[in-house]
Amino acid sequence: MIKCVNLRKTYPLKKLQGYPALKGLDLSIEAGEFVAVTGPSGCGKSTLLNILGFLDDPSGGNYFFKGRDAGSFSDPERSSMRLSEVGFIFQSFNLLPRFSALDNVRLPMLYKGVGSGGKAEQNPLELSGGERQRVGIARALANSPALLLADEPTGNLDSRNGLEIISLLKELNAGGLTVVMVTHDQGLAKMASRIIKMKDGVIESR
Amino acid sequence: MRISESLRTGAFEIFHHKVRSFLTFFSIAIGVVSIMYSLTMIYSMNFRTKKALDILGHGRIKIGQRGYSQTSTSMEKKEVNDRITLEDAQALRANFPELPLVSPIMVNGVTFSHGYFRHWVSVAGITTEWKKRGWIYKVKGRFINQYDLDNYDRVCLLIQDGGWFKKPQWMKYYDWMDGFQKYIKHHDLLNKTVQVGDNLYTVVGILESPPLEKNPKTFLDLEGWESKVLIPITTFHRLMGGGANVEINIDTGKASTVEFYKSGLNKALQSRHSGQLRLEVKGFGDIIKTKMADKRRDMYTVLIIGAIAILAGGIGIMNVTLATIYSRIKEIGIRRAIGATRGDIMAQFLIEAMLLGFFGGLAGILMSMTGIQYLASKGDTDMMMVQWWMPLVAVLAAVFTGFLAALYPAYQASRLDPIEALRYE
Repeated sequence: MIKCVNLRKTYPLKKLQGYPALKGLDLSIEAGEFVAVTGPSGCGKSTLLNILGFLDDPSGGNYFFKGRDAGSFSDPERSSMRLSEVGFIFQSFNLLPRFSALDNVRLPMLYKGVGSGGKAEQNPLELSGGERQRVGIARALANSPALLLADEPTGNLDSRNGLEIISLLKELNAGGLTVVMVTHDQGLAKMASRIIKMKDGVIESR
Repeated sequence: MRISESLRTGAFEIFHHKVRSFLTFFSIAIGVVSIMYSLTMIYSMNFRTKKALDILGHGRIKIGQRGYSQTSTSMEKKEVNDRITLEDAQALRANFPELPLVSPIMVNGVTFSHGYFRHWVSVAGITTEWKKRGWIYKVKGRFINQYDLDNYDRVCLLIQDGGWFKKPQWMKYYDWMDGFQKYIKHHDLLNKTVQVGDNLYTVVGILESPPLEKNPKTFLDLEGWESKVLIPITTFHRLMGGGANVEINIDTGKASTVEFYKSGLNKALQSRHSGQLRLEVKGFGDIIKTKMADKRRDMYTVLIIGAIAILAGGIGIMNVTLATIYSRIKEIGIRRAIGATRGDIMAQFLIEAMLLGFFGGLAGILMSMTGIQYLASKGDTDMMMVQWWMPLVAVLAAVFTGFLAALYPAYQASRLDPIEALRYE
């Protein structure tokens, strides 16, 4: 499903040469896998996730999604891929505070033009962290994506809620969804079917 | 994203920032009030001009003398001594036989007396062509004929005012009558002898003016129409024409030939006076426009104030949109991450700004309709001509201002990098 060949990403810096976040990374992920990406801060995990989720462009190398070279996608095409192929789960949930929980879940549907009139009055700020993340997951699943990308989904949760969220992800994976999760927590990473360790912009072990 | 959802989000934002929204509404509303006011003035002006020209005919030209008071140099004063004469009018008639109307007229103010009744009236010397002007329709007795003209006969016609068929609602009309009108209404002067100026005349006809709906006077006050006593122009010239100027009314038949005849008539007249005549050859359309100049200046002033107010409102909207975008960068990032295109983001902010314009416009319509009702109740006839489409145009202008003002901020919002926006705190 995902194939990265010699993937590089360099962030431009003033005066300096630029910061290389990814230094020629090779990776392939099959459909239905549950992959945990771990590594120290600044090793390029989030950069990798952003590229896999069509939020960011690689500076070099190739990223093939379902056999198509993502490097050739235009901005609207990338938006369309984010809308229909990828679901994002964020560490800080990234829910819109002024919208109700249901409206947050409905948001991706709106961009696909399948909005519904229902209302769940509860504001995300009134929910617990675990509940918020469940809303976040529901939102990520709203358009039935093929790939679920989770960036530290348990980072802001206590261990009990964290475990519950990972179990939820495992359930979804068991249902056939491909999941790529970035995490610091080695314990949680072990619950994935495969662990990829990153260091200094390359894969250390897989 | 569906428009209904964008509208909902926009209304939500406006409601949650009440003071900010109110201030923006206010400046837009002032602009809309000015637009409504000037639209009403423009409409009223055009309506009156068109109505007057429709009744008069669009091909009318007036040839007049520029008077002594309008001169400044000694050369010009000398030129004033050369006057348009009756012979000039006859020559024009002979040179341009195809013209439907060549009607010379001389006007003077004298005393009209009958028995003990005396009244200062304006008397016009006319030819038989005068009746072709088209807005006198009822003659009791007879009109002035060629025999009267050839023999300098002391005969006269009196003009009686017509009333309304049905008084239009938008027009406030003061139904007063002057002493002369009252007298001729209550005394049948047909075939009686009256004194006009220093001489006695026989009243050979009473002309009843058309109802005011069909009288250009109703729509526009053009000089020279107010003469209520008509006598043969030859008689006028001999008995009271000493200082009066000859004015020639021409009808070319249609609007397209006015310019052609203006220069032709001017040349023909000047050639009879070695180019020494201080002439004014004007189409009635131009005369009406000159008469309307004051009103037009007022209108433009209001329009400029309106434009400035709406511009200020537009800047307000731009400011609000920029502030909204800064406070919602993270939201933009989230929306982009879950699949919103740049177009979606841009449309969202544009729709919000257009909503601001729309609500401001509605407030402006409420304010201006109240003001217009008030002015109309005080007898401002222009204000009574407010039309159903004017609020529509004004609101559209406000919405369009919102759209224009938000274009740049919305474009900026759509260009935000999704990752940067997501990290924004």
